[in-house]
Formats: sequence, C-alpha cells, structure tokens
Amino acid sequence: MAKAVEFVKINKRFPGAHVLKDISFSVEEGEVHALLGENGAGKSTLLNILHGVYPEYEGDVLLHGKKVVFRDPNQAIVEGKISKVHQETLVVKDLTVGQNVTLGYEPKKGLLIDFGKMHREVNAILEELNCTFKSETLVATLTSGQMQMLAIARALYHHSTIISLDEPTASLTFREVDALFEVIRKLKKNGVTVLYVSHRLEEIFQICDRASILRDGQYITSLNIKETTHEELIHAMVGRDVAAVASRLRPSPQTDEVVLKVENLTGLDDKFRNINFELHKGEILGFYGLVGAGRTEIMRGIFGADRLMGGTVTIHGKKIPASWNTTKALREGGIGLIPEDRKTQGFLNLSTNAENVAISSLEKYMTGIFTDEKKKIKNAERYFEEMDVHPRRVDYLTVNMSGGNQQKVILARWMSTEADIIIFDEPTKGVDVAAKAEIYRLMEDMVAEGKSLIVVSSELPEVMGISDRIIVMHEGDITANLTDKNDFVEDTLLKYAIGGNQDA
Amino acid sequence: MRNVIDKYKRELVVLLATLGMAVFFTILNPAFFTWRTFLTVLQQMVLNGILAVGMMFAIITGGIDLSIGCTFAITGIGVATLTVNGVNPFLAILFGLAIGVVLGIFNGFLVTYLKLQPFIATLGTMSLYRGIAYVWTGGQPVTNVPDTFRNIFNGKMFAGIRFYVLVMIIVFVIAHIILSKTRTGDYLYAVGGNEEAAKLSGVNTRKVKFIAYTICSVCAAVAGLVMLASLGSAESTAGAGYETNAIAAAAIGGTRMAGGRGTALGTFIGALMLAVLKVGMVVINVDSFWQYVVTGIIIIVASYFEFIRQDIAAFMARKKA
Repeated sequence: MAKAVEFVKINKRFPGAHVLKDISFSVEEGEVHALLGENGAGKSTLLNILHGVYPEYEGDVLLHGKKVVFRDPNQAIVEGKISKVHQETLVVKDLTVGQNVTLGYEPKKGLLIDFGKMHREVNAILEELNCTFKSETLVATLTSGQMQMLAIARALYHHSTIISLDEPTASLTFREVDALFEVIRKLKKNGVTVLYVSHRLEEIFQICDRASILRDGQYITSLNIKETTHEELIHAMVGRDVAAVASRLRPSPQTDEVVLKVENLTGLDDKFRNINFELHKGEILGFYGLVGAGRTEIMRGIFGADRLMGGTVTIHGKKIPASWNTTKALREGGIGLIPEDRKTQGFLNLSTNAENVAISSLEKYMTGIFTDEKKKIKNAERYFEEMDVHPRRVDYLTVNMSGGNQQKVILARWMSTEADIIIFDEPTKGVDVAAKAEIYRLMEDMVAEGKSLIVVSSELPEVMGISDRIIVMHEGDITANLTDKNDFVEDTLLKYAIGGNQDA
Repeated sequence: MRNVIDKYKRELVVLLATLGMAVFFTILNPAFFTWRTFLTVLQQMVLNGILAVGMMFAIITGGIDLSIGCTFAITGIGVATLTVNGVNPFLAILFGLAIGVVLGIFNGFLVTYLKLQPFIATLGTMSLYRGIAYVWTGGQPVTNVPDTFRNIFNGKMFAGIRFYVLVMIIVFVIAHIILSKTRTGDYLYAVGGNEEAAKLSGVNTRKVKFIAYTICSVCAAVAGLVMLASLGSAESTAGAGYETNAIAAAAIGGTRMAGGRGTALGTFIGALMLAVLKVGMVVINVDSFWQYVVTGIIIIVASYFEFIRQDIAAFMARKKA
C-alpha cells in the first residue's frame, strides 16, 4: 500500500525547548491511524507541522510520496488536500452551515455568492455524512456533535484525502460518537486517510487500524491495533506500567454520616427537577449521565454558582440560605468545585501556578494584615512536590501547563482550603493516562482524610471504577441510584442514562 | 533585583521613554530643566493621576468608568456649597468623599446586580451625574470658597510643593498597597483575569466589583476636592472629557484594557509622561492645536509599543535558540 503521510527526521524547537526529536514514521493510505501520547508528548506540535500551522521545522513531510512545505493551514487545505478537525470546532455561529463549510471559498456568480449552488453542494456532502441538519441551518442551533460533522463536511468540500481528528469525541454524546465512527468508516472506504488523536483508549480499539506513539517528543513505536492490548499501548505511552482503568486500590472509608442532603431541588429553566440525594462522609458518589443530563447544573446550584428555583440543600445539618453564593459555599459550607472546562472556568489565565493555587485560601498566606507572596509560593511548592506536577515551577503561568498538570493545580487549590465536600466535574477530561491514575489516587487520599467527593463523569470506566455509589441522570431527572457494585455494568448504566427507570 | 526588573519591565520602559522626552525638551529649551518646571509637571499631573489610578481599578476588573468626570464635578459643587455656607472644611471633605462612595456604589450596582456592560452603565451615569450637577446649581458656578478649606490642599509644604501633590502620592501608595498586598488586590486581578474562574474559586465577584467602582469614584471625588481647592470655585461643567485622559494614563502605564493586569506604579508613570509632554510642548512653544495631535500619536505609540516589545523579545529568543 502507498504511504499517505511520511515524516522524515522531523525536529522542532521552541525557545528553550526541543519538543520534537527526530520523528520518522509513516501513515498508510486509507487507514485510520491513531496518534498517541501523554499531554506534552508532541502530538499537537506534529499535527500543527503537518497542517501548516508551524511552517518552520527541520526534516521533511511527504504527502503521497511528494515533499510538501505549507506556508499556512489554508494552503494545506486547498493545495495539500489535508484538513484538521479541531478539538473545539471553530465556527462562525451567526452564519448558516453552508456558509461555514464554504467559508472563504464560496461558489460565486460574478461578484456575488451563488447560494443555490452552495447549498446544493453542501447538502450533498451532508447527506453523504448522514447528517440530519441542512446547509441552510443556522450554526448556532447545532450541537457539538453536529459541529464536528460540519468540520468534516468542510474537509470534504475541499476534497481532502487526509483528515486529522484531534480529540473529536471529547464533548460528544455516545450516540454522536457512534455516528462519528460510522462516518469515519465510510471515509476509510472512500480511500480517505484519517489521523486520530484521543485519550480514550477504548475508541482507539474500536476505530483505528494502527497507532503511532510519541513520548517526550520522541517517536516510540507503531503498533497494529489488532495485535496489541491496552496495557501494551499504555506502557509505550508512559514508559512504565499504569493501571489502565480507574480502580480503587484501598478499601472505602465511607461512613453513614450524611454531610450533604439535597431535597426536591429544581433548577433554572427546568434544567433539573425534584432532585433528591444524600452524600455520606468518606464516600465517592458518581454522577453518570449523557451530555446535557443536568448534572453540571445541579452541582453549580449546590455550589452557589447558579440560582436555584426550589428545594433545599442541607450541609452538615444546616440548610443553605437563599443568598447562597460560591464564597459562602466555600467559607460556610466547606464545598469546593472543580469545573469541567479548565480553560474558561478553572484557572486564572493571567496568573502563575502559585497564585492559582492560593486564590481560594488567601487568609492562610498573611503576615499581619498583608498577603505574603512567599507563603503562597511555599504552599504551592508543597503540593507540587506531593502531586508530582511537571514542570515543578510554581512561578510559571498555569495557562502554559499541560492539561493534566493544570488539573493538579486546581486540585491543589481546593486541597489548600478547608473544604471537605469536593465536587469534580469531568475530572479527567483531556487528561492523559498517567495523570488520570494520579488524580484517582489523590481522590482516594482525600476520602481517606475524611472528605466526601461527588464525581460527575461521562466516562463509564471512570465512574464505574472510582465510585462507591452511582446516581444516573436523564434529562434533568434521577433515573437510578445504584448502591450495589454488581449493578455497575455498562449496559445497566446506559439503560438508565437514556431514560429507563429503576423502579419500572 | 532581576525579579523586580522583570516584574516592572513595562513600567521601566515607559519611565525611560518619559526621561527621553524630558531630555529632548531640555535640548530644545534648557529652561525645561529647572525646579520650577518640575513643580509644574507634578502639579499638572495631580488631577489626571488621581483620576487615572481610580480608573485603573475599574479597568483591572475588566470594566471601565466613564462617569468619573461627572463625579468630579458633583463633588466640587457639593463641597463648595457646604464650605461657602460655613460648614467645617473637614466635615465638608468627608461629605465629598461620601458623594464618591454613593455614586461609585450606584455604578457598582448597575454593573453587578443589573449586569449592564460597564461601558453602557457608566455612559448612562455619566449623563445622569452631569444632569444632577446642572440641576443642583441651576448651571451657576459656586464661588468664594473660604481659604480655610482651600489651604488644606492648596497650601505649600516646602520648596514650593503644594499639599495636593502629597495627596496624590498618598493615593498612589494606598492603591499600590491594596493591589499588591491585600486579598482584595488578588481578587481584583482574579476577577479581571477570568471572572467565571474567580467565581468558581469562591471569590465574591460582586463585592470585588463594588469595591473597584467605589474606589474609582472616591478617587474622582478626591480629584474634585483638589480642583475645588486650587480654583476656589466649582462649576457643573467641570471635568468634562477627563475620563479619556485617565484611561490614556492607565493604558500607557501598562493596564490591560481587557482586565487582569495593571499597577499603581505604571499608572503613575503614565500620568507623569502625559504631564511631561504637556508642559514640555508649552516650553518649546508647540502650537496648542498641534499639542492634541502629538498627544494622540504618543498615546497610540506607547500602547502599541507593548506589541513591538513582545515581537522583539520573541525575535531575540529565536536568535538565541
């Protein structure tokens, strides 16, 4: 078989960092090829070189046997027939699907855009992709799964023969993932080569033919998926053995003491209604559901980030007042929340790691009436050591750290407070395997210290592996409360997540 | 030492540019390099400096306050009316500061509780407060403010320096301490850097914004007191357009217009630069119409310089690698 992509001795240096070292490997035409590695291994940099984002590098990139050098991503798309579907799809929300797909290359009639032709052509592509939305649809009304399809449609509009997908399933529902995989198989049948980047190993085994692995900027190996195992992949990625799935290594310290009680809770815009549950001291309570089930909204309500419309929340036996806000949740309730989207909700993007760790517990770093920089730094350094954060620099801006390490910074923030009820929202989204295992270990440490955790997760292996108990939600209602670990089965959880009722 | 230079790089660059300007003016007219000119520069920068440091607080939270010129006018009128009617000058000053607090809280209310865009909210209060000033005085100036009040700010300390220069320095020192040494300072930067993240870290973002707008208005009130003391009369038209100079000084001094960054030192140097420019152009006899043109160019260049600096830094780093 011919080679679609060939990397020959690729080296890339940034000021002060050698991020890609002598990378050489190739991707066969018409295969689905996974690109694997931990955060910071160099996957994104390599993709950026391939797609013309970084025109300066050492070494050669060959497409279909010919050496190419792209000035910018546009040239790569139009002349190189190679497109990238971004993690967070870039779209203009106020335009139609057709306008977005053809953006910059609209079919013209004289000086004007030929909308008839545009919609005809785009609708043909959308049909090919089994999409339910039309070229005339406004992008603002699409779900994230549909936007992913839009991006693929854009690639096909430019007749791309090579398409990269960077974490395409990160914010998709499982039905959308199925639809995406269907499309990938179809693309493959039509001879399109797909490069696939994901941290979710199950997906690699479902959809990919081969996988190339990078570690610390070096090429490690390429493996045939059919002939390999989870363990082998992880070992190649991390360089040592790491537990492949979330699991509890120690017995659960959970008690009968109720630390948080939620009764008849109803949220804004009917996002969730009549929610009842309890959280026990030392417990890890999993919250499973599909994207949009209302789990995040409940947690934000309890934490005082959003207004509640009805019901009561009782923390350590005390009812929360109507004037509840995040400051009171932290100071009076002892609740912490680690949000789903680190970039927009988690860390302060202009602040250093030390400042990001300190912001929720400033009263601890005082000398007299003034804050003391040195105490903040000392506190952050202690947690960086304990949590093995890389690079171990508390003076770096958090925005420049990798996903897993950013998550540890936010964990350190809450561990620095007195909060004893910690809510995790998708704690390992975009976090690599090794950091995942460390985050699970930290969760166990926290419950061992007597804290109580709620873990909202859409990843089945995670929620099944880490929880003492699982609550399943469907479109704003609780459909199951599973206390027996024998019920922690994928099919059961999925059944409740799509609306099956426990009592029925 | 390196750390300090690193931390205040922007401030240092603006300071050097200001000194360069001073050298330039001195070469063209040696009369610029005198104690008297220096005093003039200091006095020239007082009003804008005090207004700018307050404005900086609003900008750091990601907002802006267009109403400061009007707060400035109302304070002048209110305090003038009281002192003219024989109220104790210190009591009158407290009243003036209270006006600042009240108007600032109202701005904060619009921005936090009504969730209005700060630009629109304070555009509204700008007209509202100006209107109050007109209605209060019927458009007539309040004159004959007694010397007992005026001397508090306008009196000379030593070497010809007036008390209000000291007032400005105290304002800057307090601002510096709030920003760099208190929890409120950390919260202000956090809210400006990423408001949602700050809120989800347990920061009371509403309270922080209230504080920022209140500080901003109180600074405007202080500037109003200084103005009243040096003129001896108050007018409802006072302070029109002052907000733009305050924004310029803060921006030149490195305050990030989107919020999250800015220092008292930087804003001080920004205000100093504008004052040096203004006085210098008078000393070298630049036509007053051209002064506007030059000031505009300097503001644009000084703000653009940040980008150039980053480019140069990136270029040097590439060369080294």
